[in-house]
Amino acid sequence: MCLMRTHSRADLTKTLAMTTPFSPPLYMQRYQFVIDYVKTYRPKKVIDFGCAECCLLKKLKFHRNGIQLLVGVDINSVVLLKRMHTLAPLISDYLQPSDGPLTIELYQGSVTEREPCTRGFDLVTCVELIEHLELVEVASFSEVVFGYMSPGAVIVSTPNAEFNPLLPGLRGFRNYDHKFEWTRAEFQTWAHKVCRDYGYSVHFTGVGEAVGHWREVGFCTQIAVFQRNFHDTMSNAERLEPSVYRLMYRVVYPSLSDNNIYQRTLVNEVLYEAQHLRQEWLSRMNMDSSNNAHFCAPPLMDVFQHGLEGGTRDCQPVYQQGGTICVPLARVWSSPRVRALCGSVQRLREELQVDSRVRMSADGTVLILPAAADDEDDEEVEEEENVKAVSGVANNVEEDWDRELGCYGNV
Amino acid sequence: MTGRARARSRGRGRGQEPAAPGAQPSISQEAAEPVMPTPPEGQLVGRGRQKPAPGAMSEEAMMQISAGFQQVKIGERGGRRRDFHDSGVHTRQLMEHVKESKTGVSGTAIELRANFMRLLSRPMWVLYQYHVDFKPPMESRRLRSALLFQHEETLGKAHTFDGAILFLPNKLHNTETVLCSETRNGEKVEITVTLTNELPPSSPVCLQFYNILFRRILRILNMQQIGRHYYNPDDPFNIPQHRLTIWPGFVTTILQYESSIMLCTDVSHKVLRSETVLDFMYSLRHQCGDQRFPEACTKELVGLIILTKYNNKTYRIDDIAWDHTPNNTFKKGDTEISFRNYFKTQYGLDITDGNQVLLVSHVKRLGPSGRPPPGPAMLVPEFCYLTGLTDKMRADFNIMKDLASHTRLSPEQREGRINRLISNINRNADVQNELTTWGLSFENRLLSLNGRVLPSERIIQGGRAYEYNPWTADWAKEMRGLPLISCMSLDNWLMFYTRRNADVAQSLLQTLNKVSGPMGIRMQRAIMIEYEDRQESLLRALQQNVARETQMVVVILPTNRKDKYDCVKKYLCVECPTPSQCVVSRTISKPQALMTVATKIALQMNCKMGGELWSVEIPLRQLMIVGIDCYHDTAAGKRSIGALVASLNQGMSRWFSKCVLQNRGQEIIDALKGSLQAALKAYLKYNNSLPSRIIVFRDGVGDGMLQSVVDYEVPQIMQSIKTMGQDYEPKLSVVVVKKRISSRFFARIDGKIANPPPGTVIGTEVTRPEWYDFFIVSQAVRFGCVAPTHYNVVFDSSGLKPDHMQRLTYKLCHMYYNWQGIVRVPAPCQYAHKLAFLVGQSIHKEPNMNLDDFLYYL
Repeated sequence: MCLMRTHSRADLTKTLAMTTPFSPPLYMQRYQFVIDYVKTYRPKKVIDFGCAECCLLKKLKFHRNGIQLLVGVDINSVVLLKRMHTLAPLISDYLQPSDGPLTIELYQGSVTEREPCTRGFDLVTCVELIEHLELVEVASFSEVVFGYMSPGAVIVSTPNAEFNPLLPGLRGFRNYDHKFEWTRAEFQTWAHKVCRDYGYSVHFTGVGEAVGHWREVGFCTQIAVFQRNFHDTMSNAERLEPSVYRLMYRVVYPSLSDNNIYQRTLVNEVLYEAQHLRQEWLSRMNMDSSNNAHFCAPPLMDVFQHGLEGGTRDCQPVYQQGGTICVPLARVWSSPRVRALCGSVQRLREELQVDSRVRMSADGTVLILPAAADDEDDEEVEEEENVKAVSGVANNVEEDWDRELGCYGNV
Repeated sequence: MTGRARARSRGRGRGQEPAAPGAQPSISQEAAEPVMPTPPEGQLVGRGRQKPAPGAMSEEAMMQISAGFQQVKIGERGGRRRDFHDSGVHTRQLMEHVKESKTGVSGTAIELRANFMRLLSRPMWVLYQYHVDFKPPMESRRLRSALLFQHEETLGKAHTFDGAILFLPNKLHNTETVLCSETRNGEKVEITVTLTNELPPSSPVCLQFYNILFRRILRILNMQQIGRHYYNPDDPFNIPQHRLTIWPGFVTTILQYESSIMLCTDVSHKVLRSETVLDFMYSLRHQCGDQRFPEACTKELVGLIILTKYNNKTYRIDDIAWDHTPNNTFKKGDTEISFRNYFKTQYGLDITDGNQVLLVSHVKRLGPSGRPPPGPAMLVPEFCYLTGLTDKMRADFNIMKDLASHTRLSPEQREGRINRLISNINRNADVQNELTTWGLSFENRLLSLNGRVLPSERIIQGGRAYEYNPWTADWAKEMRGLPLISCMSLDNWLMFYTRRNADVAQSLLQTLNKVSGPMGIRMQRAIMIEYEDRQESLLRALQQNVARETQMVVVILPTNRKDKYDCVKKYLCVECPTPSQCVVSRTISKPQALMTVATKIALQMNCKMGGELWSVEIPLRQLMIVGIDCYHDTAAGKRSIGALVASLNQGMSRWFSKCVLQNRGQEIIDALKGSLQAALKAYLKYNNSLPSRIIVFRDGVGDGMLQSVVDYEVPQIMQSIKTMGQDYEPKLSVVVVKKRISSRFFARIDGKIANPPPGTVIGTEVTRPEWYDFFIVSQAVRFGCVAPTHYNVVFDSSGLKPDHMQRLTYKLCHMYYNWQGIVRVPAPCQYAHKLAFLVGQSIHKEPNMNLDDFLYYL
C-alpha cells in the first residue's frame, strides 16, 4: 500500500538514514541482489539458509520468476514459528491462481548438518550467515553446502572488514554474535578453496559502496556468487522427507498446475464468457421483440451482420434451439482469458467435455445453456401434511396474567 | 472520546454503525490526547493506545494493573477494538424478580443440541499475568518480544506477550524475575518480569485470551482470516456468471455462558469476487459509454470494500482520483516513486493499463503505536478485488438462488460442518499441542440442553378461534372463508395499469372481488386508469386522479424496477397521504396463482386502510407494546432512519407508526422520543386512558451497542414517558431483540437432525449469566436452518414472570399482518423494520402524519 506519509514517518526515516549511510538500506540492497539474480537466472528451487524472519523468502514469493520450491532454514525455531504465517498465500492467490506451482517450506536445522532433502537445489543463498559460524564450522558448512548439497549456484554474503572504519561509532564487529569479519582477501581465499575442492567457479561483487577515494575499501557487504562447473546429476531426484531437519511449516500455493484448480478456473472462465454471450443475445432479442412484437429477428440476420463485420469464424452466432441457447465454442474461445488458459480449441473442448458443469453438443462445438431465466416462483403446491402436534395443544383456559401478578385493577 | 466513537466500520451495508453522540472528534484532537485515565468498564481500550514513548507506556500499564484485571485487555496487533460481545453489561443484577431464576415453565420439554462446545481446563487452572519492564526502554514491540524470548527456558514454550503484559500458564519461581538480554548491537537490556495477577478461568482477560488462542488454532488449520471470521480457501465454490467465489468458514466466539465457558461456532460464508476494480471499470465503460462513465463509476464504486492483491487488507473506496494514474508519484521515505515502479520493485507486479485512474480510501486505522492515521491511501484498480455482493446482485433472483443453494444448509449439513471442525481440532497434532501447553481442551461434542416448546396459540378472528399446524406455523389455509375482525369497505378506489397489462388488471379486479366477499370486505368497482409506461406519466396520472376521498390506490407496475415504485410511494406517503398497493404485473400474470395472490393483496389492502385481520389472546390489560427498529442508509451519507410502532388496543390489531430521519451526530432515540409521546397520546385518544404497562422491543442494536441502550436509551424512554404527567408511572420493560446471532439449535425428530419446532424457548446454558435473556425459535422454515431470535430484557419494572415475558413475546410474533403465520420477531419490530426500510429505500422523507394510524407501509 502506498500512503501519503505524514511528517512523523519522514522524520523517523531521516534519523535512520543518519545511522545507516545507505539508501535504500543495506539489507534491502542485499535482498535486491538476490532478487535480481533470480530474475536473470530463473532458478526453480531456492533454499535460504539463516532465513530468520523470512524477509527474503517473503520478497522472493512476490518476485517469483519461476521459483517452484522455496525453502527457508534457520536454527532458531521460535523466530520461524512467529513469522511463518506471513508466508501463507494471500486471499488473492486463491482468487487468481498463478501459472506455476510454488511450495514454501520452513525447517529448523543447521547448515553444518547433512540433510537429504536439501539436495538438488538450483540456488542456495546464505545472506550474512557465515560470520555467525565459528571458523571450524565454516569448514563443515563448505563441505555440506558445496560438497553434499552441491546446488547449481550459491550466493554468500558477509561483511567486508575493510569497510568497518567507515561505519560511524563502530567498535569491534558489526554484531555481537559475529564470530569473525573477513577482509576481501580472506573471503576470496576461502571462496577459491571451495571452488577448487568442490568444482565451482566464483565471482565477487557486493553492495554498499563508499564515495570518493574511500571506494577502494570495497563494498560494505561483499558477495560471492558461485556457479557449479559440472552437470547436475540429481536434479530429478525425488524429494525426500527431512531426516535431520525439523519441518516447521509447509504450504502449497494454489496454482494452475494443480489439475483441479486448472479445471475449475477454466470452466469458470468459459461459463462466465458463455453466460455473457447468452445474456447479450437475450437482451438483443428482447429489444427486438419489444420494438416489433410480431417480428422476431431470425438468427440468419445475425449471421449476416456478423459475417459482414468480422468475416471470421469467431463470429459464429449465438442461437436458440428449443428451450436452450447455444453458444458456439469458437465465440468463447475468442475471449483472451480463455485463450490464455488453454493452448488450443482442441484442448479446450477436451477439458470441457469431461466437466459436469458444462453441457455441450455431441460434436463439442456448441455450449448449451438454458434459455429462460429460472423462474422466480419455485412455490410448490401446498402439501397437505398432517404433522402431529409436538407442543401441548393450545389451552382453552382463559388466562389473566394481571390477576396472577396480583396487581389487577390497582393502576 | 469513547471506543465507540471511532469503532471500526465493519464495511457492511447492514452493519450497525453507532451514531456518536455529539460531533466526531477530529483526528488532530485524537492525536493530541494526553494519557487516558482508565476508562469505565465496558468501554474497551486496546493496547494500541500505548504511547510510543516507553516511559509513558509503562506508566499507563501500571495504572491498568492497579485497577485490577477487569480493565486489562489483551490487544492484538494494533488492537483497538469494540467490545463486540457486549460483555460487561450487567443488567440482570438490577432486576430483583429474576435474580434467582430467569427461566420459564410453560410448554413441553424438548431435547436440543446447540452449536456450543465447552472449554475444559485442568482443575485449579490459573492464567498468570506478568508485567514486563525493559531497562533501558525499548520502543519496538517486536524487539521487546525478541529480547524476552531469548529466555524461553525460563519462561516456557507457551506464552502470550503483547509488548508489556505477559501471560503464562505456569507460575515462575519468583514473583519478580530479572533477566538479561542483548540486542543485535550488543546493547545489554535488563528485563524485569513481575507477577501482577492470577486470573481465574472466567475472568474477562482470560476470555479474551481464549479467543486469541482459538484464532491461532484456526490459523494452524489453514484458515484465512477475513474481518473477524475465518474461512477455508481450499474448498471454494464458484458462481462463474458473476465471477463469485464463496469460501465456507466459521464464526467463533468464546464467552462465559450461563454455567460454563463455551465456544460458540457457526458456519459462515464469504463472498469474494475474482474480478478486479479495473475489470469492473472496463465493463462499466463498455455499458454506459465514455460520457456517463465518471458519474456511473462513482455511483457504483464509492462505498464498496475492496481487497488488495499484494496483502490481505481491505479498504473502503471513498473517492476516485480522476487526475491520478499509476505514473503519478508519491513520497516513500525521502524519494518520490511512481506507483508503477513501487509495485514493480516491491511486489514484482506489473501494471498493464497505465491510464487507469486511482482509487482513494481514507484510512481510519491508526498508524503504528497509536500514531494518527497515515492519510488517504491511493489504490491501483488493477490490484484491487471487489468483495461482497452489490445491491444489484442482491436484487438478482438468480444469483441469490445460486448462492442460497450453496450457503443454505440443512440442519443436518450444518451440524455436520461444525462437527467436522470439532474433529479437526481434536485430530490435528499441532492444535492439540498448542492447547495442551496451555492446559486447555475442548469437549469433543456439541452441547446438549433442554428447551421448552410453548403451546401453540389460538388465532381469534371475529367470533371464532382456530388452531394452526404447529410445524408449519401458518394459518393461510385455516383462515380461508372466515370473516376478518374488521373490514374497511372499498367504495372509492383506483387501479392504475399500463396498456400491456390491461388484461391482468381486469382479472385482478375480478379476482379481488371474488375473494373479498368471504372475508367480509365490501368492494365497489375500482376506477380503472391507464398510464403510459414512464415515470413522469405515472406521476401525472396519480396527481390528476387521486383525490381527498380516495381510499386506496392500486398500481400495477410492469417491472420490478425501483424508480416507479419509489415514485408512487413518495407521492402517496408524503404529498398526498393515501394508502397504496403496488403489484408487479408478473406476480399476477399466472392464472393458477391468482386466487392466492389476490387474497394476500386483499388482506394487505384492508390492513393499509385500518382494517384488522386476526388476534391472539393477550392476558394483560392496559398494555402498550412498542417496537423500534432502524435502517442505515449507507448510500445517502449514512443517515439513519428510526421507526417506532406502538399498539393501540388490547388485541394488538391496531398500531400507531412513526418514522424519523436521524440528524447527524444524533442518537436514534433522541429522534424517537417525540414519536413515543405521540404514540402515548394516540393510545390515550383510543382508550381514554394511558397504558399502565409499556413493553418496548428494541431491534436494530448492533454488536457492542448494548451498553449505550442501557445507559442512554432506557433513561430517555423513561423521560419521554414522564412528559405525559408527573404522576404517570407505568410499568416499563425494555427488551433488546437480536436476529443476527450465531447461536443455533438442533432437534432430533424421528431420528433425524431437524430444526426445533416453532415456539421453542431456550433460557438456560447458552444464555449469559449477567443478563435476563432467552432465545425463541418462533418461525418455521422450509429450507435450511432456522435462526433463533435472542431477547435480552435490559430493563424491567413490570414484575412479569420470565414465563409470561417469554410467552407474551411469542404471542406477539403471531401478529404480523403481512404474513399469515408466525414471524421471527414480535410484530411491532417487524412493522418498524418494514416502515424504516420503506422510508430509507424509497421515500427518504418523513411520511405524512395523516397516515400514522394505519399500517400503510405493509
